[in-house]
Amino acid sequence: MSGDAAHLALPLSRLSTGACEATTLYRELRKPLLRYLVCLGLSRDEAQDVVQDSFLILHRHLASGGSQENIRGWLFRVAHNQARNRQNRYDRNFGAGSDTEMDAVSHEASPEHAVLEKEKFQQLGKAMRLLTASERECLLLRASGLRYREIGEVLGIAKSTVSDTVDRAIKKLAEKCNV
Amino acid sequence: MCEFSEKLIAWLDRELLAEEASEVERHLEDCSECRSGVDAYKRVSGEFDAYCDAAIESSARRRAPRWTPVAAAACAVAALLALFLAMPRTRVESPAVPPPQIEAAASTAVAAAAVPASVSPAIQRVHRRQATTLASVRNANPAPVQNQNAYLQPDEPMIRIAIPADEMFPPGAVPEGIHFVADLTIAADGSAERLLLRPRLAGFERRATLP
Repeated sequence: MSGDAAHLALPLSRLSTGACEATTLYRELRKPLLRYLVCLGLSRDEAQDVVQDSFLILHRHLASGGSQENIRGWLFRVAHNQARNRQNRYDRNFGAGSDTEMDAVSHEASPEHAVLEKEKFQQLGKAMRLLTASERECLLLRASGLRYREIGEVLGIAKSTVSDTVDRAIKKLAEKCNV
Repeated sequence: MCEFSEKLIAWLDRELLAEEASEVERHLEDCSECRSGVDAYKRVSGEFDAYCDAAIESSARRRAPRWTPVAAAACAVAALLALFLAMPRTRVESPAVPPPQIEAAASTAVAAAAVPASVSPAIQRVHRRQATTLASVRNANPAPVQNQNAYLQPDEPMIRIAIPADEMFPPGAVPEGIHFVADLTIAADGSAERLLLRPRLAGFERRATLP
């Protein structure tokens, strides 16, 4: 009897720890993940679906005693792959997010400032469309706070390649936006 | 172009080893070209961040079109209807003699729901299965009929509402002491299938009592 209890206790404790960790990670990473997916070209609803699915997968991963090393990169990789699957399923191109009309400017801005901000975003959107998919993805993951090593794991490329790609992408944007 | 220019963004991102980073820092003290490059990369990075924030905010605005509240209300009504159909059917029996406060305030169906707590013992909420049992008990026992409505125990789901006659007819059209009982039968699709109004003379109707 006691043997049975000990046998059952391990997965249950793992499940509860996993649930707690998944909840903490959800609070921390939901917004960056959502932002990454929307900027990648998914609609808001699609992005929310992907975020939800990714956290469910994370929960199962933690509950089954999966590795907790670089869990942030792991989560972005899961979300990124799901977004790619959607792209393949619907035969859509990534980067559509850059085409979206930017109608969101800061509420405190004066009308003149709002117009300037909108123009700046339009210019940046045009410049982003000139980037390659890899450059765009590297920049978006960098803007989500991921380290080069984590970006490399998400996209399946070497850290040095990430460094070169980010360097190239930022310089392209600086040149096109006349910064 | 300066040979350090390829390391500036990695230095900004704190991705260089400590040795390389201090080397870049020493170089930046002397090289104005690299310093202006670092400033430009910082600005671009900041603008890119702001662009991403604006994109997510913009997507949130697009997501809620003007008809959303209407659709939400329609969904709520549909959900309520589904809940009503899924609920076990119950019958609310009105008191044989409506208390004066009910007659004064009652107005169609709302009256049944708005009965004050003080009169609640007079209203009995009977499950259909229980009502059928009571009817069969009465049929088996030919004792004096206690409820004159017992012969009308319906098989269909039914809601019973007491409506004072004054609410439906002009004053004086119905003799005093008369009120009506409405038997509303709900069809399977939720629509009102049948409405049966029966006049009742106050004082000649008694509630069924448990044996």
